[in-house]
Amino acid sequence: MKRALLSVFMLGGLLGGCVTANVDEMTFDAPVAGMADGSIVVLGRRHAPDYDTEPDFIDCIGNHISRGSESISVIPERQFVDALYPWFEPRTAPLSIESVGRLMMLPSVANKLEDLDLNYMIWIDGRTQDTNSSGSMTCGVGPTGAGCFGFGTWGTESEYEATIWNFDDGAEVGKMSALTSGQSYMPAVVVPIPIIAPVQDTACDSLGTQLLQYLSAGS
Amino acid sequence: MVGRLLDSMTLGRKAQRLLTLITLLVLAACTSREVIVEGSFPTPLVDPVPVSVGVLFTQEFKEHELVDDATGRGEVSWRVSTGTAQVEFWSTLFPAFFQNVVFIESYEDLQTYDVDAVLIPKVADVQYAIPLYTNVKVYEIWMRYNLALVEPEQIIDEENASISLENMQPFAEWPLTAYGKTPTAFMQSDIDAVNLAAVMALRDAGANFITSFLRVPGVMDWIKNPEEAQ
Repeated sequence: MKRALLSVFMLGGLLGGCVTANVDEMTFDAPVAGMADGSIVVLGRRHAPDYDTEPDFIDCIGNHISRGSESISVIPERQFVDALYPWFEPRTAPLSIESVGRLMMLPSVANKLEDLDLNYMIWIDGRTQDTNSSGSMTCGVGPTGAGCFGFGTWGTESEYEATIWNFDDGAEVGKMSALTSGQSYMPAVVVPIPIIAPVQDTACDSLGTQLLQYLSAGS
Repeated sequence: MVGRLLDSMTLGRKAQRLLTLITLLVLAACTSREVIVEGSFPTPLVDPVPVSVGVLFTQEFKEHELVDDATGRGEVSWRVSTGTAQVEFWSTLFPAFFQNVVFIESYEDLQTYDVDAVLIPKVADVQYAIPLYTNVKVYEIWMRYNLALVEPEQIIDEENASISLENMQPFAEWPLTAYGKTPTAFMQSDIDAVNLAAVMALRDAGANFITSFLRVPGVMDWIKNPEEAQ
């Protein structure tokens, strides 16, 4: 039994080494100048009918930027959206920087945004989804115990685009994207061992690093 | 059937009862889901409308729930109680949206407080969709409300010293729709996802109310002159 488990873990380790993630990065506007001190907010787009940009991905991007630069203060998404409720709900969220101008005509909103001392607003649109899957697995329960046998594999793809709005200039200043994909495996000899490709994490690292470079340029 | 199956096994009486209970609980858990909607609701960031409003939550509104019994094999019954969350949400929103708000609980409240109008929200319909039925990886909730603004005198029943909504004639009456969705997530249960979708729907209802209220026919005239417009 011990030998079988050891074999499964070794197989898992080998296949784990095979897991790959492809990254495709694009920056449409080259960074002009970064920010020395100030605050930003990273928000997810949630108005598409069949998907939402995942809140944990937004948190991941925010944490990546916070870790990378001590001078940049990242306002948590939930805190920002609650503080400005109902103006950043899926129904009301501005789709362009010009719409923010109209929103600023409301004195309460203008005052709140001034209090937050916001320099950049970053919108993230996209999702992570499973693509193809194959393989089969059988599990059973008997008087002596339970177990599974088989092999499954599936692909995962992440596609995210970030749009940067500069609040000081009132302009959209950059767009960047990350496209990652990978293959996950699950062999099962008695115990299923999932070997998950870190597709979304890689997309987060990629997009987070690009945003960090942009925001830190020149500082 | 469960009892007959257990009789065929050599178990003590107490063990049989316990096993029956566990089996029935497991079966019940497989076929029904109950959600009592809970969430935290922010105070809206708005410049208050300069009117004094009484808000009347009917018993039906306070206890609203969506019940969907399973009709086919493999389906699951759902009971989604939104009443408590509705009251909590609108009790946060209205006092921020109107300059002065009084929550009307009784006939005496209507006699005591001088309000420009009474706002009566009603949940007309709530529907839901889960990935099991739609094959789309989102949980969705739709809500439809009917809102009415009425003169306080319209709902006072002097004879019985009570509130009566039977013959009221609102000076403004309008429908309000709301939609909330949440994507499927790793380790998230159906119940948590439906709760989150309901919270999003409530937030959307508030956003819709705030952005559309001044466009409701009759409302603008009433705000300009609360005493006469009715």
